[in-house]
Amino acid sequence: MSSETTTGAFEPTPSTVERLHVAGLHAPTDAVLSVRDLNVRFNSENGVVHAVRGVDFDLLAGKTLGIVGESGSGKSVTSLAIMGLLPPTAEVTGSVRLHGSELLGLSDKAMCAYRGNDLAMVFQDPLSSLTPVYTVGAQIVEALTIHNPAMSKQAKEARAVELLAMVGIPSPKDRLRAFPHEFSGGMRQRVMIAIAIANNPRVLIADEPTTALDVTIQAQVLEVLHTAQEETGAAVVMITHDLGVVAGMADDIMVMYAGKPVETGMVDEIYYNPRMPYTLGLLGAVPRVDVSEKSSLIPIEGIPPNLIHAPTGCSFAPRCPLATDACLEGEPALLPVAGSGPHSAACIKSDSLGQDVDGHEVFSAPPVPVSRFDAIPRNERATVLQLNDVRKHFPLTKGALLKKRIGTVKAVDGLSFDIREGECFSIVGESGSGKTTTLLEIMEFHKDQDGEVVIGGISNKKATDARTKSAMRRELQMVFQDPTGALDPRFTVYEVLAEPLQNAGMDKPAIRKRIMELMKLVGLQPDHVNRFPNQFSGGQRQRIGIARALAVNPKLVVLDEPVSALDVSVQAGVINLLDKLRAELGLSYLLVAHDLSVVRHISNRVAVMYLGKIVEVGEVDRVFDNPRHPYTRALLSAIPVPDPHLERTRERIILKGDLPSPLDAPKGCNFATRCPVFAALPAPKQEKCLTLEPPLEAAGPSSAVQVLEAGSAEPVDQRFACFFPDGELDEEMLVVHDSAEHNAP
Amino acid sequence: MLRYLAKRGFTYLVMIFLTTSAGYFLAVSSLKPALLEQERIPRPTPEQVANSMRLKGLDPDLNPWERYVDWLTGIVTRWDWGRSPNGAFINAEFGDRVWISTRLFLASIVLTLVIGVALGVYSAARQYKFQDRVITSYSYLAYIVPAPIAYFLVQLGAININETVGNRIFFVTGISTPGMEPGWAQFVDMVGHYAVPTVAITLVGWGSYQIAQRQYLLDNVNADFVRTARAKGLTRNQAISRHALRVSFIPVAQSIAFTIPAIFAGGFFAEKIFAWPGVGSWSIDAISLQDVNAATATLAYGSVIFALGAILADFATTLVDPRVRVQ
Repeated sequence: MSSETTTGAFEPTPSTVERLHVAGLHAPTDAVLSVRDLNVRFNSENGVVHAVRGVDFDLLAGKTLGIVGESGSGKSVTSLAIMGLLPPTAEVTGSVRLHGSELLGLSDKAMCAYRGNDLAMVFQDPLSSLTPVYTVGAQIVEALTIHNPAMSKQAKEARAVELLAMVGIPSPKDRLRAFPHEFSGGMRQRVMIAIAIANNPRVLIADEPTTALDVTIQAQVLEVLHTAQEETGAAVVMITHDLGVVAGMADDIMVMYAGKPVETGMVDEIYYNPRMPYTLGLLGAVPRVDVSEKSSLIPIEGIPPNLIHAPTGCSFAPRCPLATDACLEGEPALLPVAGSGPHSAACIKSDSLGQDVDGHEVFSAPPVPVSRFDAIPRNERATVLQLNDVRKHFPLTKGALLKKRIGTVKAVDGLSFDIREGECFSIVGESGSGKTTTLLEIMEFHKDQDGEVVIGGISNKKATDARTKSAMRRELQMVFQDPTGALDPRFTVYEVLAEPLQNAGMDKPAIRKRIMELMKLVGLQPDHVNRFPNQFSGGQRQRIGIARALAVNPKLVVLDEPVSALDVSVQAGVINLLDKLRAELGLSYLLVAHDLSVVRHISNRVAVMYLGKIVEVGEVDRVFDNPRHPYTRALLSAIPVPDPHLERTRERIILKGDLPSPLDAPKGCNFATRCPVFAALPAPKQEKCLTLEPPLEAAGPSSAVQVLEAGSAEPVDQRFACFFPDGELDEEMLVVHDSAEHNAP
Repeated sequence: MLRYLAKRGFTYLVMIFLTTSAGYFLAVSSLKPALLEQERIPRPTPEQVANSMRLKGLDPDLNPWERYVDWLTGIVTRWDWGRSPNGAFINAEFGDRVWISTRLFLASIVLTLVIGVALGVYSAARQYKFQDRVITSYSYLAYIVPAPIAYFLVQLGAININETVGNRIFFVTGISTPGMEPGWAQFVDMVGHYAVPTVAITLVGWGSYQIAQRQYLLDNVNADFVRTARAKGLTRNQAISRHALRVSFIPVAQSIAFTIPAIFAGGFFAEKIFAWPGVGSWSIDAISLQDVNAATATLAYGSVIFALGAILADFATTLVDPRVRVQ
């Protein structure tokens, strides 16, 4: 459809538009929003970047379209083009019709009649999307004033309160006068949604609305979007990189790659019957939180094409394992897939790909690596890291000159766990749960710390001199979250990798040899050592970070959110690499991640943290398949799964509110304020939760058995801190979405 | 808010006391007015000099600590800031000087601010267009040219106008023509005296505000919250003027409050060139005349103005930025 218009300016003639209408997903008559042959070009220093290349879709009232793609695929640019919010330097061609009237080419002023009225948008980063100097109420009222100048002040205020209540903000009347900085991220995103739906829009575009949020908050916000759609009857465009998020929400899916839709269709068709290798790869690249059987993830090699040069063949061909010479001759058009309903794919081989094709075979996913430690029982392996009752309390003070202590933030409160050789131990929890502080405490390794940290047999209580500390550093290395920030941009890869080796006192030839080894080990070309970090892609940079960590042959690698900054297809490659290295080198990992799917995929054991304490710990499959602590249950139920059927039918626990301030933490169980079990308990039992702190114990009759101690017979490796693990869940916090219906609270 | 201001006020009071005391010790141990007296003709005897100094409370034979205690007691008990070596009372002269400085700078400060911020917004809205380039280039020029030179140029311009018209419209120096009858003629005379220094100080001063305001506004023009405002249905210009402007004014408001004391206390160039004998020129004169009490008084005045500026900055920031409001 767009292949003939990729070069030269596109001039819409009636016949082109006619033809495009025929090619759409739905009959064009009843569509709220029809996008035809949308093209966006930006002028850059290196030439014209063709960011969006021929996007077509129809949006029906009350339906949800999910646009899925990785960074740079043009999904956000598409949404901004529809809203008319691209900078004036962008050249936009094609057609965007709202109820039949053309929006493209309208002046900024003319577009204002539509923006915020018929067309509304929720942006990705709720922290920066609200004006810091105006109250939340003023910002909602402004949206009303712009489109309803005649509305009275009282009416606007009443509507603002109604909107805030609708998006689930407690005591909305008082919160109207609050400023954005007094809200948490999740709350601010709710306000953004309230602003967006203020004038009952016909189309609501949500651009990665939950990417910046914690999983439990993500579940809340998705729920609010659901409610908003129900209240307004708006058609929703949901833009995301997370195939799980849209699985339960979307009716149709459009997969974008290199600025072009490569596969479109009903949600079930896309998930269960993908006909384009890229979609197949994407689906296989995401780890699943609900699957215990371990299989390697599908890595999609290579990087997306540069959009400055018009592709001559299929833009995915360079990364596609099925590519043949035929794929390089002309870009394949998005054509209907034979047999199944409205489903199109841009692949010349789409007919040969069907339900029976396994993505793992297509992309030749590596076999699951087996570590030599896997066969040895856990309690016979050596301990590489042990934490005994580690605490980190920050005093909270008030006053500028004379500090007054008004409380204590218990960032880490009595943490004990151990990591054995060859195992991956993960810590999960919301932001603010103390994961990062735990890592910092381990890295700190000082004798004055509260609690004992033993690394490779060296205790922090005895580490008084620099030599012991330096020996410890060789045992333990760290990989950071942001690969770009963690590498000095003025160091070549060689210098980055040589630094730890020089510190270890190696001589030059040995260093050179070791660096070549390392490059091969992490899957980089050894002759790239003289390049600078900015010449590598994000995934490659993370590989450099891993190579640096491995340089001194550590026993334990601390991974702080190692893949959260990476795209899905790249993330799969890095996870597979970590898996492989663990098996080959017999490494142990301490992984901190907020993505529970990644944690399940890679870890052997997992600890769930809440407000500085471990609430549940144990073998990963046991904890994930049979979670006992209500918080673990809520966390797991909040993770979206890339499986539409499951997403629509499964029961979900939506926790109320945010992580409480550590100051307000209750005396007894920390979690009581948000606990779905607690809310349903009779008062006398609630009393117990509020006054007594539940100990971290194993379940059932064997609770007296110290699981971590060696020698106990067949212990169950799962302990949790809850008095009523089998308690009923509060009805109000449970949400089930039936295929079309849903009963939101 | 009041409690907060009171607290800040107290902190600054302590600061003023410390700087002033330190200043007094420095002045009393380095400035020796007695030496100047000895250059008089006929040359007085040392006894005579010491005697006359003692009468003015400037006894050179006392040690610095004793003189400090005397000086401080005078201020605390009688609000008496002492006397100059020539016998003048600091209190009397101080009031005149402050009044002259205030009159000289107040109008220019207000004009500098309004014009600078307005031009900053104007040029930011027209980034890289002709108007922006002219305005911003001028601002950088005003930065570079030393203030005295700019003042002279303005004086020359005013003289030029006077000569062209053939009538003395503008007075390039002085505060007023002595002996004017109150009424219209006196008002015209006052305007004639005010015009040149005010224009000169304003022309030199607005550049920094223009550059700062332009920069901060441009930083915010593409902010996420401006995009949100546009998504609500505001045009680009409306979104910028309603949302970006106030956020970009926060750092400018802070800098404004801190430049005011600098202008007041450091305005001796303007005072000298336009012959308005204010506080700035007094402080320089005090040092050359070995006048301990006057030098300390100007120093104290500078600290007070600075404290006022700092409180004003806090106040302004609190006013425009809800994030720093005290609970």
